[in-house]
Amino acid sequence: MKRLTAIAACLAVAGAAVAIAGSQGRNAVEPAAFSADEREAILSHGPWPPPMPPDPSNRVSGNSDAIALGRWLFSDKRLSADGARSCATCHDPAKAFTDGRDRSIGLVRVDRNAIALANLRLNRWYGWAGAADSLWAQSIRPILDPKEFAATPELVRARLAADAAIRAAYARVFAAEMSRDPPERVLVNLAKALAAYQETIVTARTPFDDFRDALARGDTATLAHYPLAAQKGLKIFVGKGRCTACHLGPNFTSGEFEDVGVPYFVEAHRVDAGRFAGIAELRRSSFSLAGPHNDDAVRADAAPTRHVEQLHRNWGEFRVPSLRNVAATAPYMHNGSLATLEDVVRHYSQVDEERLHGTEGQRLLRPLHLTREEASDLVAFLKTLSSAVVSQR
Amino acid sequence: MPWTAALSALAASNSAACPGPEQGFVRLASAEAEIAYRWTPDELKIGQFFGVEMVACRLPGGEAVDTIVVDAQMPAHGHGMNYRPRSTRLAPDRYLVSGLMLHMAGHWRVTFDLFQGTKRTRLTHDVTLKP
Repeated sequence: MKRLTAIAACLAVAGAAVAIAGSQGRNAVEPAAFSADEREAILSHGPWPPPMPPDPSNRVSGNSDAIALGRWLFSDKRLSADGARSCATCHDPAKAFTDGRDRSIGLVRVDRNAIALANLRLNRWYGWAGAADSLWAQSIRPILDPKEFAATPELVRARLAADAAIRAAYARVFAAEMSRDPPERVLVNLAKALAAYQETIVTARTPFDDFRDALARGDTATLAHYPLAAQKGLKIFVGKGRCTACHLGPNFTSGEFEDVGVPYFVEAHRVDAGRFAGIAELRRSSFSLAGPHNDDAVRADAAPTRHVEQLHRNWGEFRVPSLRNVAATAPYMHNGSLATLEDVVRHYSQVDEERLHGTEGQRLLRPLHLTREEASDLVAFLKTLSSAVVSQR
Repeated sequence: MPWTAALSALAASNSAACPGPEQGFVRLASAEAEIAYRWTPDELKIGQFFGVEMVACRLPGGEAVDTIVVDAQMPAHGHGMNYRPRSTRLAPDRYLVSGLMLHMAGHWRVTFDLFQGTKRTRLTHDVTLKP
């Protein structure tokens, strides 16, 4: 009788869940099974890639001449005051557009990790604190930042207008003569070319995407090729890990800001205020989408800028990064303080609740208390979000 | 009898001013007040800005609404939205509120605060967003 009950229970579970891995698959021994809710959550992470239309605030977004000029500028050290560094110094194409350091080095060591550059058209905010609301505005920040390039609009125009090839490319893209445009306009235009190039950096499809699409079409043969450990890790990701609260959608991010318990002290008596400072910088900037350099007359994409509110809880919040290509973009967190994916999973497994701000209600972030096997499975899943290829159109 | 008729007429008139589902509006009522609202766009999605068009159908004391504040919180997480919505008066007791954005999956409580002078009347509507 007990056995019959057990069989009936198994059948009921099988009916409500999608068992993965057919009898021919490598994972046939112990297939993971997903409930209807888990399946729905998994499908919400695709398809990949999603549409990435041109940026209406940037009139040269998608323009092939602008992309070519931006690609050139990305490695051009004349954008820095000392002529020693370019965008590619910290966003090295050979390192998935990061630098592999915990905190990057400009003219001095900066406070934050070089965030990977990929799939940037999907962002609402840019930089760890969201101090910029467009990719072209974000491209201006390191050029002017005294800790990074420490350049000025005047210096940039003087140096680049002296180069006949750059002058010609500028004229072709912007129908203007660089040396006659005001320095600030030149800087903004060059940043828009840089943005046009960076928009072309798109991560390739991954083993997870193949699994997700196979799940959508019920292709059990393809499903069986997805490693069992990754399946189990995915189940944790959409289930007890509650990772999808913030890492949602095809790009695995809400695009918003959270305090996940990473220390925000840069040194003993200095903190990184994160989003709180980012909103203040956005409000001060003349390069925001609310300003005069937005090429979209109706300001369609400026709603976040108009409505964003600086709140006390923004203190110590940082942007939720995409998990696309995450295995290639170590170290992790805004300050690069976690060296490996194993460290990241351990952080969430043992997160210090006392450090977190929230005092009301049930906190979103609680220690996951994962077993060693569960942690290993979660890492195995995260690794399937990466691909060796970062395509550039 | 005439009084009853008058009251019925008043109720009918009030009700007629309150848009219904044929116009995409949903009614929300408490003992004190009733509103009709519709989202714009009509489907709420995580991470997408939306607005709400709102009509105050029944109010305490019969005074007009001075202003309406719409907000949303996640009760289980103890936080609200990252954005401050703005209210525009379209007509007496009819408002358009823009700039709402629910950035996380889960249970949200949308609050409609109707201000008549110093008096506040709150109505709430719960929304659950899936990833």
